[in-house]
Amino acid sequence: MKSYVFRRTFFDSFIFAYFAMILLVVAAQPTPEQMLNLGQNFLMFVIAMVIGAALSAGLNKSKNSSAHTLGESLFEPAYKKAEKAERFWYKTFAGWQLVIFLGVTFIVGLKSTKFSVTELLNEDGFAGALRLFKGLFNPNFEILPKAVLNIIETVFMAFMATTLAIPVAFVLSFFCAKNIMKSPKAYAVYMLLRTLLNFTRAIEALIWAIIFSVWVGIGPFAGMLALLIHSIASLTKQYSEMVETVSEGPIEGIQSTGATKFQTVWFAIVPQVILPYISFTVYRWDINVRMATIIGLVGGGGIGTMLIQYQGQAMWPEVGCIILVIAIVVWGMDQASAVIRESLK
Amino acid sequence: MSQPILSIKNLVKTYPNGVQALKGVSFDVKRGEFLVVIGLSGSGKSTLLRCVNRLHDPTSGQIVFEGKDIAQVQGEEVRSLRKHIGMIFQHFNLIPRHSVLSNVLMGRLGAMGSFQSIFGFFSDEDKAKALKYLKLVGIADKAKIRADQLSGGQQQRVAIARALAQGPSILLADEPVASLDPATCHTVMDYLKKVNTELGITVVCNLHFLSLVRQYATRVIALKGGEIVFEGKPSDITEEWFQKIYGQGSKEVHIN
Repeated sequence: MKSYVFRRTFFDSFIFAYFAMILLVVAAQPTPEQMLNLGQNFLMFVIAMVIGAALSAGLNKSKNSSAHTLGESLFEPAYKKAEKAERFWYKTFAGWQLVIFLGVTFIVGLKSTKFSVTELLNEDGFAGALRLFKGLFNPNFEILPKAVLNIIETVFMAFMATTLAIPVAFVLSFFCAKNIMKSPKAYAVYMLLRTLLNFTRAIEALIWAIIFSVWVGIGPFAGMLALLIHSIASLTKQYSEMVETVSEGPIEGIQSTGATKFQTVWFAIVPQVILPYISFTVYRWDINVRMATIIGLVGGGGIGTMLIQYQGQAMWPEVGCIILVIAIVVWGMDQASAVIRESLK
Repeated sequence: MSQPILSIKNLVKTYPNGVQALKGVSFDVKRGEFLVVIGLSGSGKSTLLRCVNRLHDPTSGQIVFEGKDIAQVQGEEVRSLRKHIGMIFQHFNLIPRHSVLSNVLMGRLGAMGSFQSIFGFFSDEDKAKALKYLKLVGIADKAKIRADQLSGGQQQRVAIARALAQGPSILLADEPVASLDPATCHTVMDYLKKVNTELGITVVCNLHFLSLVRQYATRVIALKGGEIVFEGKPSDITEEWFQKIYGQGSKEVHIN
């Protein structure tokens, strides 16, 4: 109940402050220096949020539900929603709030991405793109052997990262499952590991690749390490979520025989999670092949590194050949992993 | 008269959410008897059984098993206690993906080292024992089949065999027939009776149906709101007692 009011108020006041700031920018036309004054702008935003919170509270007190805010209609509990009469959106405050929010956001979006139809239809630019496409669609197959060797390197990067991640994630997943880490000491370990892994996952594999390319030098080893770190964090999360959904019955059954904690995990939990584990792992390998390509762009080795070299020299027919090779392999991996996962169900 | 195998004194269990499931329960279980615990859902029957083999930790009171108070023992002692107490459950609690034989072998886990067991190094002796108990409950021919391929009644018999493989001196049965059809119900109860009379294993069993109670129990305890409201022979449960245990206006359902 309390948390719903908090979410509603935060949501409404954020939207109000958002409107207020945009209005301010349009009306006052601030200088670039003023735009960069983060402290002052943040303060104004917070003040606007306070005003918004007051407005939200006032509107939602009203008996007439058509005056209620978008935050209210989003977060109110189901029983309150059930009491309200159906109304057309244009007869409610929340409806207009949503429409104006979407409209304003779209316009601001156009501005901030410097959307320009003239640029898109610019003849010189278009001719350049055409040259590029001509190159791409006439792939230079002379570099095919090298591309194939490189994509094999990429696939193995993904394979090694996945394979090395499996045992680590397998072990960690049980320590990251709430349902088996109940005692206070175990819960502390659970929280520590969760936080660490959430933090690791928040850093993109691309960033890890940059870190490792400095650490161990540019090449497939750096890429593999980056994928490994990312795979461990992701697989552990997916695995541990599976552990959290196992049924309690077999656990009790095994415990009652006098089994140790270790035996209970092995005999009651592992059989329940092993198929989803394999399924996640195959999918992870598939994702890793795609990621390995991107990671190559920042020095992770494999086909990505090859791609960025030719792209830098604007050698489009060669780039076309590389893209074709990547597309075929990624498509193949995608199909294969889908078929394998389907058969595991 | 010999010393009771299990003696429960003033047992209290309060759950972390404040629910008092057991409010000072005391009773003895005599060696070799077939004791049935009856009562409404939520009367504390399941909690009582789970306190005995320490799947739940009692809040206070004593549980004297084979002359030793085990109400507050911890760690390794809990495991060695459980080796002597077999348990079967309403939902069987087998490992669905494992074979019937492998499920029965789980009963030997308490007697094995962790590493020995995870590689599946069960001794020939254990395997022979497992097969013997499968024969006892009449499904030795299904030993190689996956547990989830069996019917409910068959699964419960596998669960009995698993419990027997532990070599227990007492068997706890938590509503063993509540999710079975009436015909299978009797088969499973008959095997429990057989375990009780032929192997001399004491049975403590939670049940819902009075007709089954009259047929199988040697003694009955009734729980209501976490307290014992009746203790006696099954034939002593009159209409009056029945109303007291299950509430005014309850009708007895017969199952044949």
